[in-house]
Amino acid sequence: MTTQRKYSYHVEEKGLELSERPTRFLEAFAAILDHGNYQIALDTYARMSAKCGRCAAACQLYEATEEPQDIPCQRSELLLRVYRRYFMQSGVLKARFFGGFTLTDDYLDEMAEAFYRCTACRRCKATCPLGIDHGLITHLARWIMAEVGIVPRALVVSVREQLDGETGNTSAIPLPALKDTCEFLEEEFQDIYNIEIKYPFDVEGAEYVFFPAVSDYIMEADTLMGNAAVMHVTGGSWTIGTQNYDGINYGIFYSDHIMERVVKNIAAEVDRLKGKKVLVGECGHATRSAWFLPTFSGPEGPQVVHCMEYAHEMLEAGRIPLKPERIPERVTYHDPCNIARVGRITEQPREILKTICSNYVEMTPNRTENYCCGGGGGAVSIDEIRAFRTGPLGKRKVDQIRETGAEIVVSPCANCKKQLKELCQDNDLEEVEVMGLHDLLLRVIDFGVPEGVGEEESEE
Amino acid sequence: MDFWLQWARGPVFWTALTIMLMGLARQVLLTIWGAVRVYQRAGDRTIPTRQVVKATLKWLVPVGRLRNRWLYSLTTFLFHVGVILVPLFLAGHVELWKRGLGLSWPALPNSAATVLTVVAMIAALAVVIQRAISRDARPLSRFQDYALPLLIAAVFVSGFLVMHPAWNPFSLEPVLLVHALTADLLLFLVPLTKLSHMILLPFTQLISELAWHFPPDAGSRVAVALGKENEPI
Repeated sequence: MTTQRKYSYHVEEKGLELSERPTRFLEAFAAILDHGNYQIALDTYARMSAKCGRCAAACQLYEATEEPQDIPCQRSELLLRVYRRYFMQSGVLKARFFGGFTLTDDYLDEMAEAFYRCTACRRCKATCPLGIDHGLITHLARWIMAEVGIVPRALVVSVREQLDGETGNTSAIPLPALKDTCEFLEEEFQDIYNIEIKYPFDVEGAEYVFFPAVSDYIMEADTLMGNAAVMHVTGGSWTIGTQNYDGINYGIFYSDHIMERVVKNIAAEVDRLKGKKVLVGECGHATRSAWFLPTFSGPEGPQVVHCMEYAHEMLEAGRIPLKPERIPERVTYHDPCNIARVGRITEQPREILKTICSNYVEMTPNRTENYCCGGGGGAVSIDEIRAFRTGPLGKRKVDQIRETGAEIVVSPCANCKKQLKELCQDNDLEEVEVMGLHDLLLRVIDFGVPEGVGEEESEE
Repeated sequence: MDFWLQWARGPVFWTALTIMLMGLARQVLLTIWGAVRVYQRAGDRTIPTRQVVKATLKWLVPVGRLRNRWLYSLTTFLFHVGVILVPLFLAGHVELWKRGLGLSWPALPNSAATVLTVVAMIAALAVVIQRAISRDARPLSRFQDYALPLLIAAVFVSGFLVMHPAWNPFSLEPVLLVHALTADLLLFLVPLTKLSHMILLPFTQLISELAWHFPPDAGSRVAVALGKENEPI
């Protein structure tokens, strides 16, 4: 499918007449206002934004480009202008008497570019004295645009496979391939660590149903091995569901409707297995999407536990035996926006790292004030904007990494990891290793058997 | 002149004040009603209240929040201090409030009020200049973003001249008239411009939090509303 309009990212043609797009956009906007909970925020922001520009100082993109279009308030104004003109009484009246702004196709194109330059990292929200959440506006604008076909093809293709496709996951990994991968990892455990660890499939009544980013199964063997190792040594009751093993939810990047469907599928799988909780793997947006379970599945839905929360609790309880040696390399930690921005998960990974590393250093700033890796909001999945991502969007992160002098950057997020790796490749930081937290845990867990002794069965 | 003064301090003032109070009351009520409605529709009603309250209080008294763009932040902070305290606590104004509302409260000593007024005047002008030269704020600025601080400066300057006849090159009554009329205009504009942030500020952190609490099936309903429920991805 070819694109009719040229954006920085590829778009699937929806067969909509371009002249219809503004009308369709407003229809979608009206429906979302009707059925969603956005109106109150739009009303407030549209009325009282002070246009002070403090948000600009927090935005890493604006810091890098210094272009007015990248000021968060300026970007939000693109949508607020439409809201004021078409959905506020004062705006409608004003237009009737004085004319003025009309939504055009070109204006939609401007929005299409602007709202995919922002990663919705929400650093700006913290520095706005009026608490305006520009990340929310980006989130909403992207949904409305998606309803008129403006959405990066890279994201849609993955979602299509996950919701309508054979394999039911964003990386199109068929179940036999998944099982093969897990079998291979089990062999690795045997060969390298001399221990028998199984990846349990479809265990009914398991406490935790595991949902990593499905791409971890292809790309992050060490993280997955770390996950399994932690569950093994702590005697955790867990399983992988064969009907749904993908925690990825691109709906959070462009459509609340998609987000709802993916979350409900996760709840359904936990239900099918009579599991109790969702154990999210090392993926930022998958975690934040899973935190919407109470929204979409009600308070009786499964509880969400992040694998780092689990590991931390176990470590504190002394249930993860560690080797005496610590990780010698200089290690730093990148807080993924989706778990750290509102402070939900900031301390546990640090405490784990401080326990297992001998040379841990903090990035500055960190925790809730950390900078986005530059790949947030789905940007990392859009190959065609790589230069933009590893350039202006990621520049601040590159500087942060360089300042720490770290040899290893730990980031418990599949997307951040990909972005950070590409950042290092494109910015002369090839010697820096990027990995997950469980990768490091794997290195220091004491399985109780001497390693590499060959075929001997473990006593466990 | 007498007639105009009575007019400015009488009917015009009362009209402007009424419009301001009604406008603000309407916005507060709509906001509260909107927030309740959002909360009731939300699938997830767990609000991190402590965080929201903390953030709201932090920004009401933004000491320690001035690191980011410190000079601009300092100026606007001082500006707000003057703009809030002087209209309410200047002895002359306290008299007016007593006459109008029947309530009275302690007034600032006039010397303190003078300092605050001078600070507010300088800060108001500084705000305008900083906005004009700021790389960040200038692209965002609309007419009201320059006009409102200038209007406020006019209110303060005319008020200062009324209280300090030695500084006043004009006679008292015209300056008093200017003060009353500019103040009236300002009151009138409050609910119509971003000045409404004066009443909405305590709610904004809550609103930004609530907006992420979606109704459980908003997405599906939107799809149905747009006739897309059977559309493939």
